[in-house]
Amino acid sequence: MSERESKEPKQPPKRSGTRAAYVEDLKYSLSLLVKNKLVLTGIILSIFFILVAIFSNIIVNPASANKFDFGISYCWNGNLFSWGTQAITCPASVNYPLGSDGYGRSLLSMIVLAIPLDLSIALEIVASALAIGILLGSVAAYAGGWVDEAILRVTDIFFAFPFLILALVFAAVLGRTIPNLELAIFLVWWPVYVRLIRGQMLSEKNKAYVEALRALGVSRWRTLFFHLIPNSIYPLLVQATLDIGGVILTFSALVFLGFSPSPALPELGNLAADGINQIFTAPWLLVIPGLVILLISLGFNLVGDGLRDVLDPRLRR
Amino acid sequence: MYEYIIRRSVLLIFVLFGVSLITFYLSRGFPSAFNPCAPYITTKMSVTQIHNVCASHGFYLPLYEQYFYWLRDVLTGNWGSAGTWAQGLPVMSVFASRFPYTVELAISAVIVTVVVGLPLGIISAVRNNKPVDHASRVVALTGISTPVYWFGFILQLVFFYYFIRWGLPHLPNQGALSTNEPTITTYTGIPIIDGLLNANWGYAWDAFIHVILPSITLAFASLGALTRLVRASMLEVLRQDYITLARSKGLSERVVIFRHALRNALIPALTVAGLLFAGLLGGAVITETVFNWPGVGFDSVRAVLQGDSNFVMLYTLVTALIVVVANLVVDVLYAVVDPRIRY
Repeated sequence: MSERESKEPKQPPKRSGTRAAYVEDLKYSLSLLVKNKLVLTGIILSIFFILVAIFSNIIVNPASANKFDFGISYCWNGNLFSWGTQAITCPASVNYPLGSDGYGRSLLSMIVLAIPLDLSIALEIVASALAIGILLGSVAAYAGGWVDEAILRVTDIFFAFPFLILALVFAAVLGRTIPNLELAIFLVWWPVYVRLIRGQMLSEKNKAYVEALRALGVSRWRTLFFHLIPNSIYPLLVQATLDIGGVILTFSALVFLGFSPSPALPELGNLAADGINQIFTAPWLLVIPGLVILLISLGFNLVGDGLRDVLDPRLRR
Repeated sequence: MYEYIIRRSVLLIFVLFGVSLITFYLSRGFPSAFNPCAPYITTKMSVTQIHNVCASHGFYLPLYEQYFYWLRDVLTGNWGSAGTWAQGLPVMSVFASRFPYTVELAISAVIVTVVVGLPLGIISAVRNNKPVDHASRVVALTGISTPVYWFGFILQLVFFYYFIRWGLPHLPNQGALSTNEPTITTYTGIPIIDGLLNANWGYAWDAFIHVILPSITLAFASLGALTRLVRASMLEVLRQDYITLARSKGLSERVVIFRHALRNALIPALTVAGLLFAGLLGGAVITETVFNWPGVGFDSVRAVLQGDSNFVMLYTLVTALIVVVANLVVDVLYAVVDPRIRY
């Protein structure tokens, strides 16, 4: 046992309960996270994309998304110089570092403009699904009885659905705008969190400290929101980190299947879907936006996977 | 045990009722140019006859009453007709003719997933935190993070388009069969098996090369879940006392892993493979669309886009039934295999 501990970068904190111990615990968790090179790669990737998202309007003028260039773009197109009034998709050049897209815009600029949109879509969906899931799941576990049964049966119905088709049907009914697509994904996403927090709460609510709180006369709601939920939330945070990538993938899948809000919208899935038409003549239009989706999603997945390992109490000892 | 199965079966009916209710409300609420009554009308009908037919199926009533008319039709075996995308054929026969293709794709995808994912998971558990483990983690997470349609098109680009340009033998990129193949007697509807049963090797080979790219696409996406799970359960088992005992008896590492550890670690992995198969039977929507695969997933997208409520209803109910039954079977099998579990 002592041999194994000596390999660890730091000893886990001994004291508990104080703020200093909490900070020390956090530092220990971070040191475990950063120790793993893959997780570190994930953190760097995620931070990079978040920074690009924050500064995207400074890097690229957002008005360039609406500047369609059907005239001047002429380029070496395989075996002949082509120009004309149609947008000609050019491979990489000085003016267009990643080539130009089907509307004569620089693909790189469009990707930079798309990243904040995609990240905010993912964040909004995951945050709202998490909020509803925590509320319903914790109430189900804490109240028990028929409330629990009713909430569980509703999630049963949602789990039985073919997930993507349900989102498609919602999107078809609601109409093709970004908020509606977000709502469609949210509606199929929340049941996962209900199940997760319910399972956590069921084991948490029988612990001694809950009984102690009741003996102290702490109200049920206060116990639920200030003690039980904070204590059972960690697995959900891991799942939420993993789901950021999943939501971006689902959104882009809906766009690919024909629910694009508008054809020229700079959104990663939309850019990739737009490139499919020219896959054999201008493959970079599909390859590069798809690769960016992959990297964003991989970044968050690596972080989430690392968080899961760090929060696993068996690995902490 | 029997009480448990009966209770779950009652819940199953409840779940299917809920699924049909939600889908019905959504699909009859479609913004569609397609009158929901249209499938019940033929060209020979007069105006009053049309009115009578629509009234007899309840199309002039409020939505919640229409549902019971739909339920009555379905319980008497009348699922209605599909939209123009399927030439207005009865949805049941459209579904039955496409479903074998989906089954073929699902089986081959599960085979690829298990053949690649299982060894990958075992190796990364045995070589925990070694380079092999990290590599397999990267492969698994990349599979989860890849947009399925993007990966499908990349495969098409390389193995179809570039292989033709480079003069290499290429793989087909569309459909489940070449169009110039002769028709053969169908036994199962699954092309590979039908080809083999007819002893028509060319046909079977043609079907086989068509399924390669779609099944790799699907398998890459589902590989991660299986690999991570096999790794986790294998690590859990390798920590047990009986493994230490087996090692201290002087058994070789090979025997310890394959005879003692693997057998117990495989149970959760088989569960995941089973549920994956059940999910794929209804869910290969994107892959089928990318490869123009004539299965039910591709059809369901076209049905949704055309507002074809009859097909969407049948499709969601069948896939929901498969998923729910698969879950029930898995839970019961767990109790059979593991004597500690009692319901």
